[in-house]
Amino acid sequence: MSKFKENLVNYQNLTRKIRDFFYSRQVIEVVTPSLLDTPTTDVYIDSIELSVNHALSKSSKFYLHTSPELEMKRLLSKGSGDIFQICQVFRDNEQGNINSNEFTMLEFYRVDFDMHQLMDEIEELLVVLGKNDPVQKMSYAQAFFDFSDIDILNSDIEELKKILQSLGLNSDYDWIEDMQTVLFVHLIEPKLKDIPVCFIYDFPKHQAALAQIDGLVANRFEMYIKGIEIANGYQELQSSEDYRSRFNQELIKREKLSKSIPAIDEQFLKELSSSSLPFCSGVAIGIERLFTLTSL
Amino acid sequence: MNYSTSQFKNGLKLMLDGNPCSIVNNEIVKPGKGQAFNRVKFKDLITGKTLEKTFKSGESLEAADVMELEMQYLYSDGEKWHFMEPESFEQFDLGKESMGTSLNYLVEQDNCIVTLWNNNPISVSPPNHVTLEVVDTDPGLKGDTAGTGGKPATLNTGVVVQVPLFVGIGDKVKVDTRTNEYTGRA
Repeated sequence: MSKFKENLVNYQNLTRKIRDFFYSRQVIEVVTPSLLDTPTTDVYIDSIELSVNHALSKSSKFYLHTSPELEMKRLLSKGSGDIFQICQVFRDNEQGNINSNEFTMLEFYRVDFDMHQLMDEIEELLVVLGKNDPVQKMSYAQAFFDFSDIDILNSDIEELKKILQSLGLNSDYDWIEDMQTVLFVHLIEPKLKDIPVCFIYDFPKHQAALAQIDGLVANRFEMYIKGIEIANGYQELQSSEDYRSRFNQELIKREKLSKSIPAIDEQFLKELSSSSLPFCSGVAIGIERLFTLTSL
Repeated sequence: MNYSTSQFKNGLKLMLDGNPCSIVNNEIVKPGKGQAFNRVKFKDLITGKTLEKTFKSGESLEAADVMELEMQYLYSDGEKWHFMEPESFEQFDLGKESMGTSLNYLVEQDNCIVTLWNNNPISVSPPNHVTLEVVDTDPGLKGDTAGTGGKPATLNTGVVVQVPLFVGIGDKVKVDTRTNEYTGRA
């Protein structure tokens, strides 16, 4: 078989194994719309905008989904139970060695799972996919203690500014979370290249995104394979009010960055206000990166 | 003139902390959540050291006025090493500290690459392969032609290179300047 065809078969085997894994655990495969009325509010992710012609009325704007997150959460709030989806997602302004405007995402949600149970399940999935390397788990704060001498959770914006200056890095950032991120990218990520599989959990609360907050930390994790970010997961927010407040915080930041200010998905918030999300954890995994890194 | 992170590529010469540097590796890092960065490895063209920096995307750095020109090595007066640009006949000189290991390989009339920053020479790279003459080495053991083992030989630039036993004084040898290894007789 040619190398090209072998790759096609290997990719098919990967997605088949993922589907078998979830089918055997009674996790339902779903399909949600990729053409949405509202763009993402995420500060550093931009939706691709489309002009769509209707049959009888004039054209209107739609947005390609950047992740199936909110659409899948709609299903969860209606009582779907455990669900997964493998789909193409689209992001504007993303190109690079390992970034692309279109990529494939595996997203799944497990009801009654906390963040740690979800990480355990991802570990089981990796074994099924033939990735048997030992898995390391460390908190965001511990990673900074191990690979630098920074107390990341207890350093304020002025202290982080001084640290950035002492490293000869630009310290001109508006928000503490951006300083934490540049330090993570500069000091921690290069060290993760030596670790086959590493979960980083308990992100600082300012980087909660849509995860529950518990004291100084958010119940959010990422998984790295050889230093490449593969997965991003949360113990999910449940109530409509919590989602509204996070969306609003994102819009404030987008405004400060002079980025477009999208309308909030009011329909989503309305549905959640009549029945909120069950306690659950969910994760998004980049399939192309996973495919490349599991076949190494 | 400034270059923004989106224009960064390997080999681009930029000013960093007052020194001209060359990009060795440029990695775009875009966290799933969080802003995009460029993690860049530089070589300081004056000290030769490599350093790593992380920039937020959109940041820019001043271009370094750096040129690499092929020149002819003329002579050394013991303090300075003199070079000539063959088209313009313009002459440049460097001190010993800027010569680095090029001292070991350059003989008069050889061509080499001289790096100029703001029209001042800052470093010299010899060709990858040079031919030099053996000026001192122990006589080889008779009968040993297999080249097993080896022995040190001093070449006409003063550099010492490990050579096979059959090489004698007066022989011309080829040396790889990147590894300081004997690659054959000339």
